Amino acid sequence: MNLIIYSISLSIIAGIMCLFIPKRTRGVAETLGVIVSLVTFIMTIMMFGREFVSKWFLIDNLSRFVVMGIGMFGFLIVLYSLKYMQGRDRINEYYAYLLITIGASIGAVLSNHLILLLVFWGVLGLTLYMLVGIGGSDASSTAKKTFIIIGGSDVIMILGVAVTWVLGKTFIMSGIEVSVNSGMSMLAFICLAVAAFAKAGAMPLHSWIPDCAEKAPVSVTAFLPASLDKLVGIYFLGRISMKMFVLNKAMGQMLLIIGAITIVAAVMMALIQHDFKRLLGYHAVSQVGYMVLGIGTCSPIGIAGGLFHMLNNTIYKCCLFLGSGAVEKRTKTSDLDKLGGLARFMPVTFVTFVIAALSISGVPPFNGFVSKWMIYQGIVDLGRKGDKLWLVWMVAAMFGSALTLASFMKLIHAVFLGQREGGEKVKEVSSLMWIPMVVLAGLCMIFGVLAFTVPLEKFILPAVPGVSFTGLFSPSLVTLMIILGVILGLIIYMLSNFKNIREDSLPYIGGEELPVETRVTGVDFYRSIKDSKILGGIYRAADKKSFDIYDVAKRVLNYFIGMLKYLHSGLLSNYVIWVVAGILVLLIVLMKGSI
Amino acid sequence: MNMIPLFVAVPLAGAFIIPMLSRKFKWFPDVLGNLVTLALVIMSFAVIGKSGVYSMGAWKAPIGIVMVLDGLSVLLLVSINVIAFASTLYSIKYMEQYTSKLRYYSLFLLMLAGMNGVVLSGDMFNLFVFLEIASVASYALVGFGCEHEELEASFKYLVLGTVASTFILLGIGMTYGSIGSLNMAQISEQISQNGMNNALLFAIALFIMGFGLKAALVPFHAWLPDAHPSAPAPISSMLSGVLIKALGIYTLVRFLFNVVGVDERLLMILMVLGALSMVIGVMLAFGQWDFKRLLAYHSISQVGYIILGIGLGTPLGILGGLFHLINHSAFKSLLFLNAGAVEYSTGTRDLQELGGIREKMPVTANTSLVASMSIAGIPPFNGFWSKLIIIIACVQAGRPVFAALAVFASILTLASFLKVQKYVFFEKLKEKWNDLREVPALMSLPMVLLALLCIVMGVLLLPIGNTGVLENINILEPAVKVIMDGTDYASKILGM
Amino acid sequence: MIYILCLIFFMVGLYGVLVKKNIIKIVLGLIIMEYAVNLFLIMLGYREGGVAPIISEGDSITEFIKHSVDPLPQALVLTSIVIGLGVIALMVAICIRLYEKYGTFDITEMRRLKG
Repeated sequence: MNLIIYSISLSIIAGIMCLFIPKRTRGVAETLGVIVSLVTFIMTIMMFGREFVSKWFLIDNLSRFVVMGIGMFGFLIVLYSLKYMQGRDRINEYYAYLLITIGASIGAVLSNHLILLLVFWGVLGLTLYMLVGIGGSDASSTAKKTFIIIGGSDVIMILGVAVTWVLGKTFIMSGIEVSVNSGMSMLAFICLAVAAFAKAGAMPLHSWIPDCAEKAPVSVTAFLPASLDKLVGIYFLGRISMKMFVLNKAMGQMLLIIGAITIVAAVMMALIQHDFKRLLGYHAVSQVGYMVLGIGTCSPIGIAGGLFHMLNNTIYKCCLFLGSGAVEKRTKTSDLDKLGGLARFMPVTFVTFVIAALSISGVPPFNGFVSKWMIYQGIVDLGRKGDKLWLVWMVAAMFGSALTLASFMKLIHAVFLGQREGGEKVKEVSSLMWIPMVVLAGLCMIFGVLAFTVPLEKFILPAVPGVSFTGLFSPSLVTLMIILGVILGLIIYMLSNFKNIREDSLPYIGGEELPVETRVTGVDFYRSIKDSKILGGIYRAADKKSFDIYDVAKRVLNYFIGMLKYLHSGLLSNYVIWVVAGILVLLIVLMKGSI
Repeated sequence: MNMIPLFVAVPLAGAFIIPMLSRKFKWFPDVLGNLVTLALVIMSFAVIGKSGVYSMGAWKAPIGIVMVLDGLSVLLLVSINVIAFASTLYSIKYMEQYTSKLRYYSLFLLMLAGMNGVVLSGDMFNLFVFLEIASVASYALVGFGCEHEELEASFKYLVLGTVASTFILLGIGMTYGSIGSLNMAQISEQISQNGMNNALLFAIALFIMGFGLKAALVPFHAWLPDAHPSAPAPISSMLSGVLIKALGIYTLVRFLFNVVGVDERLLMILMVLGALSMVIGVMLAFGQWDFKRLLAYHSISQVGYIILGIGLGTPLGILGGLFHLINHSAFKSLLFLNAGAVEYSTGTRDLQELGGIREKMPVTANTSLVASMSIAGIPPFNGFWSKLIIIIACVQAGRPVFAALAVFASILTLASFLKVQKYVFFEKLKEKWNDLREVPALMSLPMVLLALLCIVMGVLLLPIGNTGVLENINILEPAVKVIMDGTDYASKILGM
Repeated sequence: MIYILCLIFFMVGLYGVLVKKNIIKIVLGLIIMEYAVNLFLIMLGYREGGVAPIISEGDSITEFIKHSVDPLPQALVLTSIVIGLGVIALMVAICIRLYEKYGTFDITEMRRLKG
């Protein structure tokens, strides 16, 4: 109990202290940030072996590995920020909100009381708003949009909590077990799920993530939308759908549909992006689809896969964003048109980025493959149980995976290979920035190669009882095969004639035609998708933000507001008429029974 | 309980002394105005937890005119006087833009006396008199600037306000005609003995409309978005912060719950009115570009929350409503003071003209952030707790539709305050604001005080205790009890 | 019967407020409404052939109560007239100021505040 309170309050208090550090003092906030986040990380590790249930807090199999993840990411991001944020304004505020975020996320994951959860959950939204706002003056509309979606879903969550309370008769999460069968229980589940979706970024509440990725400081994106919000959001989705509610078929189907749409639609959007960070943002959305899909299968292995994917995703997505931050730090741009050929100058960034990219695309032996594979098994399970649509989910998941790979081909080409405009040399980023990336890339490998012995055994399987693997897959074996294959390839390469290799070839860009004189940037890889008839129409609609729930709602609202404003015409007699009409209605209502 | 009449007498005396003496001393209105409000704050803190009856001229309850202090009045008294103190403190510097401080303070104290009188009086007609005193002072204060908009707003407010007052007076006449007394306790006793009749129902409709207009419930709200922005900032903060509550909500609640005794139908009327105000107010607010007009529409919406909460009629709902009432007076006054500070420094309150003044006016920006987050219901600020309670109470009372409307309104509230934050404080600093200065310390002090109040109220009044919901609240609980006891009010007053 | 007259009187005032464009006429409408209510209050306490509610020495209280009109409404009306006076004075003052600013008495032209 004490450990929990210390771990939460330490970082929150430190964060509040940072707010009051005078502007001129440099270095204090940084030092405080590193120390506190390290101590918090250690505390979260110490929590790992324990079980704890009280009125307010809960450590169980599900929450403890999530908390550890939060501690780790917190520490890594603070480390990364030391260099990345150097020289920006409002540093103290940045560290303050970062630390508060760490504390609040730990609180949100560990709380056992729904009201407490609501508080931490809301504070997370607030700090996210402030952190995005630090991105500078153009970030303010993104910050606003983000917080409207996040904060709005928080209020919906209040409604969900209220209904859950009435149904389950208690606020204690571990004591709630509601089966979803009536309208009210569906309302409760949907309201709570909406909050989880908004935080994790599933469609249709995803639209803040790409914007945020583009405008906010990269460390913030890597920290919140890419890792912490995913952990917290999917953790909560897992908790409500596994522990608090017994889902019926309709709810499972809803989750599946949302998951499938999210996977495919977001990755399609990612294909056509021109901005490095925005592209990653769409992938961050797409990956959420897998987790939702996994949980939506309602079969143990699917849920385990979803949770494992959550963990994996935070690792590689954080790594990818940090990589993009490194590139941006050195080249001062995140526009794919202007980048290229950085592999030579930034080898560490390149290698970690490729590892993370392969992980996210689900290429063995990296971690993304294992979790996706588990999700596929979950879907197969679903099919066995008689769900006729299982093929649809399967196709969506696989298709999404292929497109992810395709879009990362484009990205890696555009950023690290290819030619760069101008082409002046850049340096590798400082060690404080690449250490976190290397750690994360290392984790990608470890979690992939030793998937069963380390992460699944220790983290995931205790949380999800009753997982049985149906297919045969041994990651270590596969790794061995791959390594053998690579060595074989190298040997063949060595043995073959060097002279046959062309030094300067005509660029090959996936079969697309391109004017010869143009520099190949990788941006044009999939342009023809956008020009095709049906998809083109959808893309154009997406450009006009017809699918963005935020903008659609704004348009509808503005229509009604226009009507209401027209009514308030400034004419006094109109106002008096309302008053008289009001009193007449009141009279009719009151006197109805009595005359 | 000799303190009770002082709540009215002190500001009333102040209102008359100020014009008499301040011809000689220029500093006099500031000093006396602030002293009076400070004294009232201290007095109102002193009566927390107490209750009592004071009979004017030593005539006992049914015959003489009585003033009654109970939990509900204490709650209102505290919030009225605290906000009044913050406003007078703020006025010292702010009102230097206007010509006549003497009249300003005089009217201000008159309004204050009226409000304190309304929440203390135990007699329908007395209540009406105090209500009119406060209203007349507020009409004059709205038009204090004497420019086009101010006068127009003041006139419209006056006409609608007078219509409402006339209806209230008519209602009082009706009640007197069928009961034969104007003492609230006695009316209540008579009603519970003899039941309702048509004249009384008619009177109830008139009262709901009249008090509803003072509380700016839709469809009686039209004056508020004109009047509140036109007044000087400290007055706006008084009007939105406490006047609509003392004159509107308090009277409505006191009359319906303690005098008439509510039934299903009356509760339904309250809930529908509350929900309407909540939704329509916030939608209109969302479309505004004038800082203060936006805030004014939000007042309508927040009053809707309060009325909805109280209208549920369950202890939890009433608790939520009353908690929201005091929270709203803290953050809405603060927001109006912020808007005033922005106007004071930049001379405009058009959101599109402003931008990026966060760096230049950090105190204003941060306090307004606190207030915005409070009103939007973001934890850990106070507004979160009361909205939480109201929504939970709605669901508990089996009215999920109202809960959903409250959620909808809350999202829009958040959206429109983020809009304010974005356009006023974030974004890029416009060039014309390059040499902007923070407002003087005397203006930022009350803002900081109120912002602290917003934070502290959220933390200290933690409404969820270990066993029951009503624990730990030493100022709200008696007020909730007063409302829940309903018409038992009568026996208590007459017994004393 | 007399109450219905009061009601008609009241409606006349309300009509003025609702329909008239001239702000002075609106003010007059309000005044009419107010006096209708005052009249109504007086009527409540009136009884046919009653005497003024002033008790003089030597009158028996019970006799007096039987004959006198109810004094309370009269007190109310006195107060309400005073309040009304204050309100009307303020109203007319604002009307004058409005005329100075807008150059007209037409309420439909005073529409700067809307939306």
